[in-house]
Amino acid sequence: MIAFEAVSHRYGAVEALREVSLEVPSGALCVLLGESGSGKSTLLRTVNRLVEPSAGRVTLQGRDVAAIDPQALRRGIGYVIQSVGLFPHRSVAENVATVPRLLGWDRARIEARVDALLAMVGLEPRAYRDRPPATLSGGQAQRVGLARALAADPPVLLMDEPFSALDPGTRRELQAALRRIHAETGKTILLVTHDVEEALALASRVAVMAGGRLVAEGVPAEVFGPGAPDVVRRMVRAGALAFHRLAALDAAAAAAPGPAPGAPLLPAGARLSDALLLMLEHGTGCLALEGDPPRHLTVAGLLGHSAP
Amino acid sequence: MPSPHCPAGRLAGAPALAPLALAAILAPLLLGWISVAPNRLVSPRAASLPGSAPVLAALVLFHLSGLVLLLAAWRPRPFWLAEAAAIGAVLALAATVGLGTAAALPAGSTVARAAPAAGAWLGLLLLALALAAAAVVRGGTPALPLLGALLGLAALGAAGVFDSLSLAREMAGRAADLRGAIAGHLGLSLASLLLALLVAVPLSALAFVRPRLEGAFLAIASGIQVVPSIALFGLLIAPLAALATAFPALRAMGLGGIGPAPAVIGIAAYLVLPLAGGILSGLRVAPDDLLEAARGQGLSPRGVLLGVRLPLGAGVMLGALRLASVQAVGLSTLAALVGGGGLGTLVFQGIGQLATDLILLGVFPILALSLAVDAGLALLARRVAP
Ligand SMILES: Nc1ncnc2c1ncn2[C@@H]1O[C@H](COP(=O)(O)OP(=O)(O)OP(=O)(O)O)[C@@H](O)[C@H]1O
Ligand SMILES: [Mg+2]
Repeated sequence: MIAFEAVSHRYGAVEALREVSLEVPSGALCVLLGESGSGKSTLLRTVNRLVEPSAGRVTLQGRDVAAIDPQALRRGIGYVIQSVGLFPHRSVAENVATVPRLLGWDRARIEARVDALLAMVGLEPRAYRDRPPATLSGGQAQRVGLARALAADPPVLLMDEPFSALDPGTRRELQAALRRIHAETGKTILLVTHDVEEALALASRVAVMAGGRLVAEGVPAEVFGPGAPDVVRRMVRAGALAFHRLAALDAAAAAAPGPAPGAPLLPAGARLSDALLLMLEHGTGCLALEGDPPRHLTVAGLLGHSAP
Repeated sequence: MPSPHCPAGRLAGAPALAPLALAAILAPLLLGWISVAPNRLVSPRAASLPGSAPVLAALVLFHLSGLVLLLAAWRPRPFWLAEAAAIGAVLALAATVGLGTAAALPAGSTVARAAPAAGAWLGLLLLALALAAAAVVRGGTPALPLLGALLGLAALGAAGVFDSLSLAREMAGRAADLRGAIAGHLGLSLASLLLALLVAVPLSALAFVRPRLEGAFLAIASGIQVVPSIALFGLLIAPLAALATAFPALRAMGLGGIGPAPAVIGIAAYLVLPLAGGILSGLRVAPDDLLEAARGQGLSPRGVLLGVRLPLGAGVMLGALRLASVQAVGLSTLAALVGGGGLGTLVFQGIGQLATDLILLGVFPILALSLAVDAGLALLARRVAP
């Protein structure tokens, strides 16, 4: 668990953080959402002590990070940034092996780990291991960045706008990869973004920041509910808040038992926003859900479930 | 230096090559190949080239190489053709002159002197320029091919081709002096370079951690750069002499107002700025986000320096070292003015006696040394930071 206790930080005259208190439960994928300059990166960087808060404290599993040697602390926390920052003079494999090497693992263990990680992030180890970073596309580079952060199997992952520089298709691919890795490994992930759709696609919890303060925190459906703070309303297109809320809700929860012969099929794991779009596309008010036992979803069910 | 495959380099070198080649071929024909004087006191006069078989063979080779060079200027494929042709032309020209003087000198005369005429000198100079232009077209440094040409000339000299030239006679008479001067010159260059490094490394490290000091350091170093070198040596004479008088132990160690000490200190003072500037910019090559990623992975400050900053900055730092080394070799020539020895001794003696051969005897090794240093460090840089 990561806990921020009344954390404040100033850069000279700029108050970047004002008494932020937040708890990120173990195993959560918490998205820090906020407009540019709201202090998201600063808050994230207090966890691995790249920023030392001017006041307040940050604890990891109950231990004050200020009491841990910064290098040892960072080797136990994965860190991914928007610009990736792969070492240009090292191969992909050497980049991924950075932390295991610092930790003094033996060669065979490092090699096996590198290959397993490359496979985990969707890169064929034999094809990518020896490539120099300069030959990778942006998406491939960020996959390597993710593998590097996961190398020593840290329980906590910090990600600062990891997918913001990628095109929408690649971004969705990497989001899916991250969701899968989160589900498989159960790591505690703190991810910064200013993209509402990304937050909804990934978050198990959302924390919204504005002007250095935490203005909302909770599960996505709550934060995007009618009581959403002004910042959140500003960040989604006018009037689209209700639709974004649908993206935070699972379609399965709104379904009713029984088959719907001839109705369009909604894939398993879809959100209510996907269901609504499918209804609009087919001009029908009823969908069949993929899976067993047979279930179906109606407009009334959708509205009933999405009502706050 | 233009980077490999730099299109600007191609444009810069190619148009110069053809006129240079043409002028190099015409110069000896119009201005003469060799000059001969009956003794050292009479100024030499242009003489015609004797028509012996070896001379004619060398002459034919020269014109063939010149033609190939012209062709290569027009269509630079393969990329090494122009440089090979220019080196061939240099060697053939030198051989023509060497063999020609051997045939032109009266047999058995020890006082008669022969030298290349203005046309031959001009031809050599133009060919060297053509070589440099061709290197630019290739996108590389001219140091290596120039060094190749010099080595070829040395081989011809070792084979005795230039024995009749007054320069070779001068060299034979002063072989011991020359060896001593070369060793002294190397010692001066190396000592100044080491002294400069000894100052520049801590200075740039300090400026790196305290950026506010950088301005002050650079101001001082560039202030020194403005003082003419001879004036700086002169300025050092008085305080060093005073030091040596005050502390006889220092004098015993070889420190004094004149001699190598002021020269080494003065030369080092000039090298500090390029070295410190290069080290400092080398340390700053690594971009901020990369450094942040490195720290975020848990690299220690030492690990960031050794694992990120130095490998990424090595190319820039070696470039500065290369520049400073070449400067050290050149500046060491001036050490002779304060009694510091080195090849400058021959050059300035030659100037004093109006003896061109003696000047050249000093100048050629200086040229070869700086080319060798430049080429060596360029190769190293390419290996370390491709
Ligand atoms: N190193 C720094 N020196 C001075 N001010 C800084 C520094 N880093 C951040 N700031 C300021 O602190 C405030 C918060 O910055 P921060 O980088 O945390 O914002 P952010 O929410 O991550 O923004 P973005 O989405 O643009 O990355 C901003 O006003 C910024 O200008
Ligand atoms: Mg940020």
